[in-house]
Amino acid sequence: MSEIWRSAIVASFDKFLGKVITFLPNLLAMITILIIGLITAWVIKTILLRFLKAIQFDRVSERWGLTHVLSKGGVTYSPTSLLSRFFYWIIVLVTLILGINALEVAATHHFVTQFFNYLPHLFAGILIMVIGYLVAVFLGQAALIAAVNAQMESARLLSRCIRWFLIILSLTMALYHLGIAERVIVTAFSITFGGIVLALAVAFGWGGKELAKDFLERLYKRRERGDEEKDRISHL
Amino acid sequence: MEKLFQLQMEEIKEADILIGIPSYNNVRTIGHVVRAAIAGLAKYFPGARSVLVNSDGGSTDGTQEEVQRIQIEDFKTILTSHPVHPVHKIITPYHGIPGKGSAFRTIFEAAAKLKAKACAVVDSDLRSITPGWMELLLRPIYEEGFEYVAPLYARHKFDGTITNSIVYPLTRALYGKRVRQPIGGDFGFSGKLAEHYLTQKVWETDVARFGIDIWMTTLAIAEGYRVCQAYLGAKIHDAKDPGSDLGPMFTQVVSSVYSLMENYQPLWKEVKESQPVSTFGFHYEVGLEPVPVNLGRMIANFRLGVRDLMEIWRKALLPETVLWLESIGRLSDEAFSFPQDLWVRLIYDFALAYQTGPVHREHLLKSMIPLYLGRVASFVKENQDSSANEVEQKIESLCKSFEEMKPYLIERWGEVLRR
Repeated sequence: MSEIWRSAIVASFDKFLGKVITFLPNLLAMITILIIGLITAWVIKTILLRFLKAIQFDRVSERWGLTHVLSKGGVTYSPTSLLSRFFYWIIVLVTLILGINALEVAATHHFVTQFFNYLPHLFAGILIMVIGYLVAVFLGQAALIAAVNAQMESARLLSRCIRWFLIILSLTMALYHLGIAERVIVTAFSITFGGIVLALAVAFGWGGKELAKDFLERLYKRRERGDEEKDRISHL
Repeated sequence: MEKLFQLQMEEIKEADILIGIPSYNNVRTIGHVVRAAIAGLAKYFPGARSVLVNSDGGSTDGTQEEVQRIQIEDFKTILTSHPVHPVHKIITPYHGIPGKGSAFRTIFEAAAKLKAKACAVVDSDLRSITPGWMELLLRPIYEEGFEYVAPLYARHKFDGTITNSIVYPLTRALYGKRVRQPIGGDFGFSGKLAEHYLTQKVWETDVARFGIDIWMTTLAIAEGYRVCQAYLGAKIHDAKDPGSDLGPMFTQVVSSVYSLMENYQPLWKEVKESQPVSTFGFHYEVGLEPVPVNLGRMIANFRLGVRDLMEIWRKALLPETVLWLESIGRLSDEAFSFPQDLWVRLIYDFALAYQTGPVHREHLLKSMIPLYLGRVASFVKENQDSSANEVEQKIESLCKSFEEMKPYLIERWGEVLRR
């Protein structure tokens, strides 16, 4: 009887030891990956930080209005610091997932594959939003200055409309790219945009018929008057 | 370089004098300009080998044909003696960014290739040019040893507002030479200076457009060439709407001035005061046509800027300057006044912002236009009843303010760029 017990325990222990021996290299691989990944993340963060400082990224961000947005959103880091930290954590995250994958546990395998398939979409989505935002700020500012120089009373309104339209457009594109409620997003955007245009058309053509007439008359008269009262100063 | 253009120059080989005329759809006036140039060369430089280069931007109205057609059949009607050498004409399109600067580049290339001793460039829309202009622009170089001749015109007291309120006072304060019309448009220069201009890599910037005039003048002063000015009398252009070009004109000229400040900062930081330059020509008074100014529109534009562009200006200006501007924005049309000291401070602060870049450069410069119009409106309002001489005194006072406040610029320049 005791022999049976002994062989059962030994077999079980051998089995456990076999599993540990099989698992141990994977664990060591994971630890190695984590250590190398963390060092790589730190090195890249440091290099990026120095590079961004050298190209005066904070100044460029200030020019593009990014610093203003960050401070409005309560972010206390400078754009240089924020971007280098962002890449640090991305590398840490990727390292962590690679480490988990190195364990070769069946449950995590599917998750890791999905994560890596989704990663390019995530980057593209973030890029679309950042570029969209920068373009929106730039064009909004350009429209504001042009409208003020053309003496348009509603310059600020025009600028805001352009800015928000482009921000919403880039957000829609980014969400569509990420595959988040694609149909809902496209439909919502189409309805909102179409609705705004229709509302403006109805308001201008029907509700504000008299107002529109008055506005156009004033505009026409002002243009005629402007021709009569043109400056003849030669600026150069 | 065009093949035909090259062949023509190889045929001519060398020239003593070169006249450059940039053009674009100027058929109405270019004939007169070419005739005046040819007559001037025949009268004042009969023994010199002369070439006239028309650098055209692709005119479609027959400008090039007009230049080709124009010649003086009978010199006896305008001269007492015949010219010894005929004037060669080269008509060529220019390449690069469309603009006056690119046209000048072709003229510089011709001057360098032909080893011209003295060159002059004149606008193709001039109505008041006379043969005498050739002597005034060329003789200081051809015989007196000068290397750059800037024009000096009799102008209406309210004309040349970018020159009077920004370019002249700022250039004078920075580089220490009192060249009254640094962006006049008609210049004389030596072949050596033309060659030097050609070596600069600026032909893809605003220098290739309206910035060429201030760039030429600044380079000549800053690089130690002998500079003088010549009194040419009245400058009357072909009629066009001056307001239509204000935006690009303003931004291109001011961006060129500010970019040059960056290049020559070690030089201008050392300049303490300004000196007059030699002036040629007989000074006389001319009758000038009145210039109508719509003050209300200029003030309204300024107020709109104060209301809507303050967010941009704040990035370039000190808080106390912003408050000052806001208080001016609240003034009525009758009480409206834009003080000279504030204007000087703005020009210096924007120059710094242009270097440090808190706002995109083009946006920064375009956002200055309402401020400029506010200052012009105030200047016109203050000088409605002043004589031309009194207005000149006011401009002199503005120049002194620029010179007196230069330490402020130097101090802030060092402070901001150290950050």
